[in-house]
Amino acid sequence: MNRKIYLIGLNHKTASVDVRERFALSDIENFEQRLDCCDDIRECLVLSTCNRVEIVVVAQGRDADIFDEVYTNWAGACGGPVELLLEHTYQYTGLDAVQHLFTVACSLDSLVMGEPQILGQLKDAYRNAVDSGTARTIVNRLLHKAFSVAKRVRTETSIASSAVSISFAAVELAKKIFGDLEGKCALLVGAGEMAELAATHLMNNGVQSLLIANRTFARAKVLAATMSGHPISFEEMPSRLHEADIVISSTGSPTAVLKAREVRDVLKKRKNRSMFFIDIAVPRDIDPDVNNLDNVYLYDIDDLKEVVEENMSQRQEEAVKALAVVDTETEKFGMWLKSLTLQPTIADMVSSSEDMARKELEKTLRRLGTVDQKTRDALETLVLSISRKVLHEPICFLKRRTQEEDAADRFINIARRMFNLDNEIISPMAHLDRKGISRECSPDDVEAFIEAAKKEQ
Amino acid sequence: MGLFELFQLLIIGLYLCGTVLFLVGTAAENSRLKRLAGFLAVAGFFLHSADIVLVFMQSQNVALNSGATYLSILAWSTLVIYFFFWWRFRLEFMALTALPLALLLFLTSLAFSGIRVVMPQRLTMLFLGLHIGTLVVAMGVLVMGFGAGIAFLHYNKKIKTKAGLKTLGKDTPSLSIFDRVNHLVVAFGFPLYTFGLFSSFVWYWIAPSKQFTWDVMKISSLAVWVIFAFLFHQRMLLGWKGRKPATLMIVVFVAMVVSLLHHTITFRQMP
Repeated sequence: MNRKIYLIGLNHKTASVDVRERFALSDIENFEQRLDCCDDIRECLVLSTCNRVEIVVVAQGRDADIFDEVYTNWAGACGGPVELLLEHTYQYTGLDAVQHLFTVACSLDSLVMGEPQILGQLKDAYRNAVDSGTARTIVNRLLHKAFSVAKRVRTETSIASSAVSISFAAVELAKKIFGDLEGKCALLVGAGEMAELAATHLMNNGVQSLLIANRTFARAKVLAATMSGHPISFEEMPSRLHEADIVISSTGSPTAVLKAREVRDVLKKRKNRSMFFIDIAVPRDIDPDVNNLDNVYLYDIDDLKEVVEENMSQRQEEAVKALAVVDTETEKFGMWLKSLTLQPTIADMVSSSEDMARKELEKTLRRLGTVDQKTRDALETLVLSISRKVLHEPICFLKRRTQEEDAADRFINIARRMFNLDNEIISPMAHLDRKGISRECSPDDVEAFIEAAKKEQ
Repeated sequence: MGLFELFQLLIIGLYLCGTVLFLVGTAAENSRLKRLAGFLAVAGFFLHSADIVLVFMQSQNVALNSGATYLSILAWSTLVIYFFFWWRFRLEFMALTALPLALLLFLTSLAFSGIRVVMPQRLTMLFLGLHIGTLVVAMGVLVMGFGAGIAFLHYNKKIKTKAGLKTLGKDTPSLSIFDRVNHLVVAFGFPLYTFGLFSSFVWYWIAPSKQFTWDVMKISSLAVWVIFAFLFHQRMLLGWKGRKPATLMIVVFVAMVVSLLHHTITFRQMP
């Protein structure tokens, strides 16, 4: 029986947050070791994040036994009932498991499609499995392939190119206006949570200085300390506005905090250098007429939401392309898996052929008498080379035919019997009752048969 | 078919394929096609360079007296400047302006091969170097300014109106880059154009057989210079940025093209 890939998991679609919490695996190393000790399981890898748990095992045995084994261990590790687990999990085998893992790696199955974190988490999971020694030939290859598929999807599609959160959308827009944000100055007017997040993203993307203006100066000071910014009083804000390239506003003011006329004056001070206003407040803080000024760009919360929605729909469109890539790569991986099934047979064929060649060489050398080492080596190279070359066509044939649907086992079986790779003891009289054949099959008979066939040609 | 004809056909083929592939690549957002278009343009450019060298090697006088040479050099300069902007600012998409224009100028140079440029007997090389040379380079620089101006206005409108932001791919340069190109074009293009224009006036002054008279050609060139000077003043001294200099750059470029066409027609009328 061949080794097969199994995948059992749960995610945000199949399980609610309390179920996910309950069955999240914390001591992954220990869990992998335990799975690895099971009789049927040869390799395993576990990915456990807040949104999903994926358990990949390579095993040899009955499907039901293997699933049983995994579920029992998983439920045991988390102290939960197996029934609950069964209710909220999915199971894949063979290429379906491969396809699912590729989909996860490409972030096509994520809560926010295209988010990059999952690939990093998968890489960490793989590193853990390698460290605990539970990732071997198939898991190694599977994970490396998953990483390359994810990379391909990211380069060939725009699945991750656009922002899908308000704060990231603001950063992306700032980049469209200023290009590099290195050395730019941002001003935070008010201290809303979303504005804080946007400011953090801007700082992470190269914004050099951050001014924080708040009606409560103490709050501005606290925020400035946590974000490495400079607090300024709210009254000071208009006079410092010209320093800011990006302004994020989120005050609770019922009227506009910044008027178009004020911004026009600020622009003169700035020698018309561009300004980007992000107004997250409701009601709005910045006079909408500001957007009519040259070199000034104003986005309010609705505009940003629209950008995010547009980006989300774009990701959905890109997901179709990404899934096509996943399908192609799954098929390629399937071919590799099939070739893996063939590998022991090829190794046996070559080794049997080489053994035979060496035996024949020994016989010949005995007949020749004393032969110097150089000639001996040359003869050995010759016979080994012939023994391998003779196998080229049969190996190519097997490689081709084993790629066919459900044909691998049949052709491998034929090849093994044809070359007697399993050293079966076959009676000289075997199969002779079929079609009334009365010829025997001893080595001398085969030689005689070859000679006769050659003459007839 | 002679070597020149073969060269010209190859250059046209390469520029045409480059232009079409770049347009298709941009429309389909296919970076491979765009890269291939870039390679074809570079190959065409090398052949074009060889073609210009061969023309001058064959006979320098014939080359200098042929209007086709100047248009061919103009097409070549456009690409040189495009390659510079590509290398310096990664403004790959400026190929949308540079490649079709280089192709058009090269084709025009072949179509107008009969135009004879009457070269002055004295100070020929100085006249060529200062007047024609600087104007050709200024024109090439302005092509980039024109492309950057159109791109700026297009993307500025998109960001301002928040419409069609989806089409702003991650590889689209930022507005500040387009504005920087505009700045560079004004900073280098205006002195070059001024030098090219006034060198011809100086030549009229020093050439004993020539008498300076105002005609439509000179007035149109001067009118272009005045608009360009206004742009230079506003941009460099008053700190104009963004939409206004981009619009004015387009006006300057269009005015310069009209002036160039007028020059071409005037040359054709020469005996």
